[in-house]
Amino acid sequence: MTPDELVPLYGFVQGDTLGLLVLVRTTDTVAELAAVLQEAATMRVAPSLDFYVRHRRARLDPALTIHAAGLTALDRVELVRERSP
Amino acid sequence: MLKRQEWLDLARKLDWTYSYVQEQDVFPEAMSGRPWLEHAAWQAWDEPYRTTFAEYVAGQHEKEGAITAVRDAVGKVADFDRHDRGWLSALKLHGATLPLAEFAAVIGNLRAARFGRDSAWRTTAAFGALDELRHTQIPLAILHELVGWDPQFDWTHRLFHTNEWVAVAARHFVDELLLGANPIEFAIATNFVFETGFTNLQFVGLSAVAHGVGDRMFEKMVQSIQTDEARHAQIGGPVLRTLVEHDKEYAQYLVDKWFWRSWLFFAVVTGFAMDYLTPLKERKQSFREFVGEWIIEQFERMIHEYGLARPWYWAEFIKSTGYYHHLLYASAYTYRATVWFDLVLPGPDERAWLAEKYPESWAEIDPVWSRLTERWQASGPGVEWYTHGVTPVGFCSLCQLVLCGGTPAENSARVVERDGRRFIFCSEPCAWIFEREPERYAQHLTIVERILAGQAPGNLIELVRDYFGLTEATWGKDAHRGHYSFLVNAPGGTAE
Repeated sequence: MTPDELVPLYGFVQGDTLGLLVLVRTTDTVAELAAVLQEAATMRVAPSLDFYVRHRRARLDPALTIHAAGLTALDRVELVRERSP
Repeated sequence: MLKRQEWLDLARKLDWTYSYVQEQDVFPEAMSGRPWLEHAAWQAWDEPYRTTFAEYVAGQHEKEGAITAVRDAVGKVADFDRHDRGWLSALKLHGATLPLAEFAAVIGNLRAARFGRDSAWRTTAAFGALDELRHTQIPLAILHELVGWDPQFDWTHRLFHTNEWVAVAARHFVDELLLGANPIEFAIATNFVFETGFTNLQFVGLSAVAHGVGDRMFEKMVQSIQTDEARHAQIGGPVLRTLVEHDKEYAQYLVDKWFWRSWLFFAVVTGFAMDYLTPLKERKQSFREFVGEWIIEQFERMIHEYGLARPWYWAEFIKSTGYYHHLLYASAYTYRATVWFDLVLPGPDERAWLAEKYPESWAEIDPVWSRLTERWQASGPGVEWYTHGVTPVGFCSLCQLVLCGGTPAENSARVVERDGRRFIFCSEPCAWIFEREPERYAQHLTIVERILAGQAPGNLIELVRDYFGLTEATWGKDAHRGHYSFLVNAPGGTAE
């Protein structure tokens, strides 16, 4: 069973100007993480369906949970565009 | 009666031959710095000003008189009241970050006045300490007095005594540079790199801008300060020369380390002022053009003259001159309630100017301002929160500044695991500086680590009010509260 814990992550949205600290739960999905990151950067970067989450250069399946994706506290994750704007 | 040139060296170059103690006991390495060398290695130390105490007092008295006269003539509230709101923010930024840093430099100079390895070095450092006291008092006297008119000027005194994030970063830098450094590191870091290399940006470059803006008070103040800086900065060169002779690798390390740290500091203080807070019609050069003239040309030539190489990260530094202060400014704009000065939303004309000055990078940065412009247009003036972030931001474990390294397409922050802890660095030079002396830096907690440890609140409003010490009257806002003609006339204005 997946533990339900809070996980702080360093998030970087492509096109943004800074790194953010977002808080997700281990039971949240990668897709939900992407939504949190988009919302956190929304005043600087327009939201889009064109983004995916990347961790250590690997694209994460949006259906995976944070736990299943292997993300742990203070990991760096990126929200990357499918195509360059 | 002896003439000046007959007695000066006798008074200035007065080094004792010790008979009761060892030289190493008088100047222990822990206080004087490494490498420990016998005085013979330092006795050629000299600088061109060769000022006497009498000349120093007379010269400084004259400068004080000139400053007082300018202050009496153009240093009143009414004189500041006519300045552009953006320029006033540049004054608030300068006024809060520089004077108390100068006060810390008094300590560094006094340590050199006691533990510097040659008597002429010690004499010049004593003048340096007096200089820095002056550089503390003048801006405090002029700018803090404006607190009754604008409460944000309270931060002229207040910043360094708070846990506001710029203060945390500034103390991390200044404490090591000015309070903790031994005389050798202080001479290289402060006198050579910071003062010879970088203060020209603020004290010469910004003085020229102040002239254009019509701020005679600021212009004269920083010019007067620069005349002192030019003198005591001379301490660095002869120390570096001896250091290069005896330990070139260490000399190169100190230059590389302090060049990067100084660059980050001035990118905030001078970069914001020159490219964003100065009214467009008064801008003479971009921040990068000033950096090109004063740093890339002059400083690079100087380090070659001392037999040193450019810092190993030179290509990264050059690239960052097109990005770093822009990314940090846009970030600060969208977290403006976390600072003590107001920020300006660049309009179409300013963005066109920035596009012209930064042709290789601005196209990546401009969409952020398009987005902010659209949101201001959607909210209307006065609605600050709609263009303001609420999510906590990440800070570099070395420089303690926001993670704004690299480019919008590829932020350069890197997480490093060490002794079971995770650190994050905004850039490779910051990671390298940390790795050279982890015992010096590892215990310092970033704002994020303080939040996660329960030492600081995670809620932004609580963080700003309770931990940073800002109030609604003092926290930063849009300099014009969203009242820009271009928001009405040119929807979604772009740089084109």
